[in-house]
Amino acid sequence: MAELTISKRQIHWQNGLKHLLLILLCVFAIFPIYWMVISSFKGQTEIFNNSLLPSSFSADNYAYALEQVDILGMTVNTFFMAISQAVLQLATAIMAAYALTRWKFPGSRVIYTLFALTWLVPIQATMIPNYTTLVNMGFRDSIVGVIIPNMASAFAILSLYPAFKSFPKALIEAGMMDKMSAPGVLFKLILPNIKSSVVSLGILLFINSWNEYFWPAMIVSDQGQATLQIGLRSFMSAELTSWGPLMAAAVLASLPILILYLLLQKQVIQSFVKWGIK
Amino acid sequence: MSEIALSALPDLSGVAVRQQSAAKRILKRLTPFLFVAPALILVLFWVYRPLVQTFGLSIQMWNMNPNVEPVNVGLQNFQYIFTHPDFFQAVWNTFLYILLMLPFSVILPMAIAIATNRLSSRAKNIYRAIFFLPMIMPPVACSAVWRWLMHPINGLFNHLLTSMGVVEEGVRFLSDENWVLLSIVLIAGWKMIGFSTLMFSAGLTGIDPSYYEAASVDGHKKWRQTLTITLPLLSPTIMLMLMMSVLMTAQWTFAYIDVLTQGGPAGASTNVYYLLWTYGFKNFNSGLSSAAAVVFFIGFGILALIFTRINRKVAFYDN
Repeated sequence: MAELTISKRQIHWQNGLKHLLLILLCVFAIFPIYWMVISSFKGQTEIFNNSLLPSSFSADNYAYALEQVDILGMTVNTFFMAISQAVLQLATAIMAAYALTRWKFPGSRVIYTLFALTWLVPIQATMIPNYTTLVNMGFRDSIVGVIIPNMASAFAILSLYPAFKSFPKALIEAGMMDKMSAPGVLFKLILPNIKSSVVSLGILLFINSWNEYFWPAMIVSDQGQATLQIGLRSFMSAELTSWGPLMAAAVLASLPILILYLLLQKQVIQSFVKWGIK
Repeated sequence: MSEIALSALPDLSGVAVRQQSAAKRILKRLTPFLFVAPALILVLFWVYRPLVQTFGLSIQMWNMNPNVEPVNVGLQNFQYIFTHPDFFQAVWNTFLYILLMLPFSVILPMAIAIATNRLSSRAKNIYRAIFFLPMIMPPVACSAVWRWLMHPINGLFNHLLTSMGVVEEGVRFLSDENWVLLSIVLIAGWKMIGFSTLMFSAGLTGIDPSYYEAASVDGHKKWRQTLTITLPLLSPTIMLMLMMSVLMTAQWTFAYIDVLTQGGPAGASTNVYYLLWTYGFKNFNSGLSSAAAVVFFIGFGILALIFTRINRKVAFYDN
């Protein structure tokens, strides 16, 4: 009996330590984001006093940032880019994964290997030829020029591949008995059954595209076509130490992602853990 | 009525198959290719074509002006990069980046995941939601807030350090060559640590608890269980995160380098991929950039090959 109470107390103590460890990790992770948000609401007199809470919430920084930079226009651009990329990458990946898992055809293994090996090719090893190609096509300073090289993602194909592979062959054969066409099997049979995988991959592709820095930084320098990442960067170099407005702009650039996370936080975490990172 | 229709179906389809025209058969043969074509063509055009072109550009001199023809220079570009210190500085920095990143992407996350394993509480989900957050934050927004936190005069870190008397003058985290690499690692590591912890936690939940029960019955101490059960069964996750860190750290740090330091001061924070960018789009020397790209592509390719070899030997799968 005495032993039992000791071990119980020990478990309590251990659980307390576990919580402490996780709370420390949380503080480390959240603090810069918290600092960004509260600073964006601090007035000019308060911004340098390093207090953890503003004495009053002011929207001045937001008003200034919105006046200086076309954040709304950039948000529209970024949404356009991120949604197009996510949808196109999903569409091409669904078709490719379907073809590779449903049929054995000459070259299918080579094609799979070609997709699988792309992750060894860093974007910087292809940037000069791709850049000159896009410039020749007339896509300099255009959001379309950012989307075009990213319409297919080998990462998306390889992520969907197992979901397609594990779809029961017997059901496909039954569908063929019902005279279903090849697209019919895909749309009416397979996709409804692996919907959750497709959606969670879609979320991941959207977030990745929203946060993409490298390619937009190369293609769009023009303000009218800039994405939030690029606009925020030029705001940073223009307003070297206007920390308040800068934090306000940073909050606005992250807001859609934060809202998405607030709503679908479990799915977002799950899709990152499931698919990993590029 | 419907039963009759069903039983009649196979016969009808049999007739249909026999009467299939040659065109239809060809279409059937082509179907898989039609489905795979969009992705395949795009990947060939935007990944493999430019990769081959980069190999070609590596033996040419070109300023990326479309009106100027590239000139063949043989191995001169390779000779240049191997005889200039900026190449070796970038390689050495990348090695440091990878090494310093490991605590954030492998060591600490693994320790935290093991230490907090089987903490059954609802609070766990809240913790996860919070410490995962940096992973999805836009990199430029993160750069903005970190630049302020690290600002030499009015940043919070230096405010704390000076008021505690640790330093007399603010540390120039992002412009002092002794600090800049560490600072970039801290930012990139801050982004990774929560995600990595989750990856290791996910790896741990896959471990059958009966192993621990058996070990406890045998009187094995906790640390010994960690050593003999947890680590071997976690080895696939360890290898995965290790490989990701080695191959991707130069990529993860890229945006912060570009936004916060441009590789400086004096190249102290540059890395291999940033060097390619500098050669290409700052010096407009596509030959140097491509030659370095070829070297790094082959180098990382060999590393990846070694990793998959080791992985096959070391990683222990609980089948």
